Amino acid sequence: MKLYVSLALSGLPIGAMYALSAMGIVIVFKTSKVFNFAAGAIGLACAYFASTLHHHGMPTLLAVAFAVVLGAAIGVLMEVTVRPAKGALTGTIVTLGWLLVLQGLVGFIYGTQVATNQPVQVVSDGNFVDWGGVLLYSNQQVLLLLVAAVLAAGLAVFFNATALGTATRAVSESPDAARLLGIGVNRVNLVAWALGGAVSGLAGVLVAPLLGGLDTTKLVVFTVQALAAALVGRLSSLPLTFAGGVTLGLLQPMAARALQQFDGIKGTQELTAFAVVLLSLLFMRKTGRSDVGGGLLPAPLQPLPRGRTALAAAAGVALVVLVAPLIVDDRGNVSHYNLSQVAIWGLATLSLVLLVGVVGQVSVCQAVFMGCGAYGTGIAMGHGAPFLLAIFIGAALAAGVAALVGLPALRLEPLELAIATLSLSFTADRFLYAWPPLASNDGNRPVTRPGFASVDPGHVADGQRAYAWLVLGIFVVACFAVASLRRARTGAALTALRSSEPATAAMGFSVVSVKLRGFAASGFVAGLAGALYAGLVQGASGAAFDFTRSITLLAYAVIIGVGSVPGAVLGGMIVTLTTLDFGSTGDVANGSQVSLTTFFTGAILIGILALTPEGITGFLSRTVRRQPELVAAA
Amino acid sequence: MTAILELRDVGVRFGAFNAVDGVSLTVNAGEVVGLIGPNGAGKTVTFNVITGLQPATRGQVLLNGADVTRQPAHVRTAMGLSRTFQVVQLFSGMSVLQNLMVAAHRHTHAGVVVDALRLPGRGRALRQAEERSRAVLAFLELSHLADVEVTTLPVGQARLVELARALCLTPKCLLLDEPASGLDPAETADFVALLAHVRATLGCAMLLVEHDMGVVMPLCDHVVVMDFGKVLASGEPRVVREDAAVRAAYLGEEVH
Repeated sequence: MKLYVSLALSGLPIGAMYALSAMGIVIVFKTSKVFNFAAGAIGLACAYFASTLHHHGMPTLLAVAFAVVLGAAIGVLMEVTVRPAKGALTGTIVTLGWLLVLQGLVGFIYGTQVATNQPVQVVSDGNFVDWGGVLLYSNQQVLLLLVAAVLAAGLAVFFNATALGTATRAVSESPDAARLLGIGVNRVNLVAWALGGAVSGLAGVLVAPLLGGLDTTKLVVFTVQALAAALVGRLSSLPLTFAGGVTLGLLQPMAARALQQFDGIKGTQELTAFAVVLLSLLFMRKTGRSDVGGGLLPAPLQPLPRGRTALAAAAGVALVVLVAPLIVDDRGNVSHYNLSQVAIWGLATLSLVLLVGVVGQVSVCQAVFMGCGAYGTGIAMGHGAPFLLAIFIGAALAAGVAALVGLPALRLEPLELAIATLSLSFTADRFLYAWPPLASNDGNRPVTRPGFASVDPGHVADGQRAYAWLVLGIFVVACFAVASLRRARTGAALTALRSSEPATAAMGFSVVSVKLRGFAASGFVAGLAGALYAGLVQGASGAAFDFTRSITLLAYAVIIGVGSVPGAVLGGMIVTLTTLDFGSTGDVANGSQVSLTTFFTGAILIGILALTPEGITGFLSRTVRRQPELVAAA
Repeated sequence: MTAILELRDVGVRFGAFNAVDGVSLTVNAGEVVGLIGPNGAGKTVTFNVITGLQPATRGQVLLNGADVTRQPAHVRTAMGLSRTFQVVQLFSGMSVLQNLMVAAHRHTHAGVVVDALRLPGRGRALRQAEERSRAVLAFLELSHLADVEVTTLPVGQARLVELARALCLTPKCLLLDEPASGLDPAETADFVALLAHVRATLGCAMLLVEHDMGVVMPLCDHVVVMDFGKVLASGEPRVVREDAAVRAAYLGEEVH
């Protein structure tokens, strides 16, 4: 018993940090109904900033204060870019753009490896506090608890007892009504975002030492913990949020201990947080959280009104098939490698076209489906399946996982599904890809592809060429399959479903079955992409399918406009470009280039959502398309 | 006469409130039944119980004599139930023809794999659905609207398209939820004439929830009056109209 009390209490200080970061999310959500997915990334930026200031001789507390001001400033900038977004879901996707911007920027400036700089230690370690004989806390940890508790209380008072606090509630209920009452809606929103940014930033600064140093991914993955705590607080109550964060902190060491029996298991903290996210989304729905709606998909994610998709797809695919090999042929095996990449990332984008453009659901975990396909292929080959069979086994596994993800989607609004899938992406990074049955010792499961790799070292290029044609062939078939699906019975049901569920049921289609099939089909395509990627690099590893990949895939889909199949070809080319060294095709991009790409992807995503609501292909097809005939109102 | 649709002592409770309290009614083959009553009488809840959107707390719903009380909406549709909505629920982003084809696909068979890989069943399903949809459009004299995007339609035409879509399901029993709401008197009269035509030609049974007496009286063979979740009176329209309790509860509020 004493052991468990002691275990639980060991999670208390970090739990307080979950609570703090979650409060940043809740403050923003309370006012603007936008879910700040960049909370962890703000903390990341602030932690690095504070560390740099301190490194240059600034006193600790002053450095922390400046970092908090930076957090508030980021919050203000975010508010300005979120403001033009129509609807909470679009606004939330804008915050995903900010996640990329901040992560990319910090990665570019400081490098993606664990920084040599030490995080700011607010209180020097070494003095311990005895807590009832069960645990020793350092002064720093006690201080963390105090700071979080005082902030929670203070903010709760602010929201409930001050004029500005009450105004934020009015704004969240009805911006227009608030405007008519003379409340400056923009000013209230700015204050809330600044406050939220500052709190999230402070959480990042304070938690960095607890996470074992400054790290560009850990502090972003930290968001999943904040999401969990915020959902427990039902996105409105700051005291409940605080309780949620602390409870999560208490639960995690115990969950970790319970899961210890599985050898080499990692990421139990994220797994616990993911479970909390899912449970709160599914079971706390009826009680006061009905406001997480945001239902409508943003304009770039809606299908084009009357695109000539099949024709355009055929033309686009034919173009790539005919031109691409010719262009890159003289560069030998490396270009075939690139060609395969274009087709593989094209498949990945295609799976999003299917899910977002046809099924009408937003997924921020498409790379996880790819990972399932890759590992599934590796495992199937380990059991003796030939490569060509194994990739379909992997894809089928991914389809199954996607259907599982689709199950909560039956009850969740698109915004809620975005929360769930993003949490899954974070969790996959820490837990799934490090799970011993999946990962081999070095985290890489070999996927050989006999028949596509010549054993003769002089003829490696032959194997690459054959493989490139295989991948390209599968991509072309998949493009036609999606276009064909969309224009047939299944597509009719899916398109009907996104317009009205009761009416679709009244037409004799089972809502459950139609939705799950859509998810499974999308998962199958993504899984196939992952399997083929594993074949390309001859090994399955989670590194290529991390959360940043999931987010950037969605970002490209939004930037291009996922309403169309040809967009998938464009998506494949863009993703491939981002993985190459600029200027000299063939070399793999290094860390700072990847960071720069991440930064620009985020920036373009933010810009596109503000400026061109239909994405690039939507914009093109709108300029080409003739005006639909006007209907006489008879 | 055989009963197409039968409700036996159906009740729906929301907490302590009995929204529907022991309603029984029967729609026979080829018969048109009107369900009327003041606002809050429980008509819409009853309607949703029949279509499967609202589970019943007690009682039974029978379609062609089979108990469907626990069947989901799409199964009831497959058994011959078809409905329109009080607030028109056409599928936006699709043309009129595409809307009808969603319904017409009830009679076709093609799954994800068949559709994706262009197996022979795909084309057959599309052809059958389009033929059926075009036939219904022609029957309702709406063929000129086939390629119009539905969100551009005025309410009157949208209601006609929704009726057409419901007919594509080849219903044994057609449920109409306030088909005349949002229509002006001339459109209402046209709609009544059209429903009479549908009935005379297709012979399907109908159950309609309606406020407008001008729709209910000429069309219905049988009228069921609800108030406070209970059936207040039922019988021929002429008889029901003379019923004192009904006049007090409902018709007394009418201006004419």
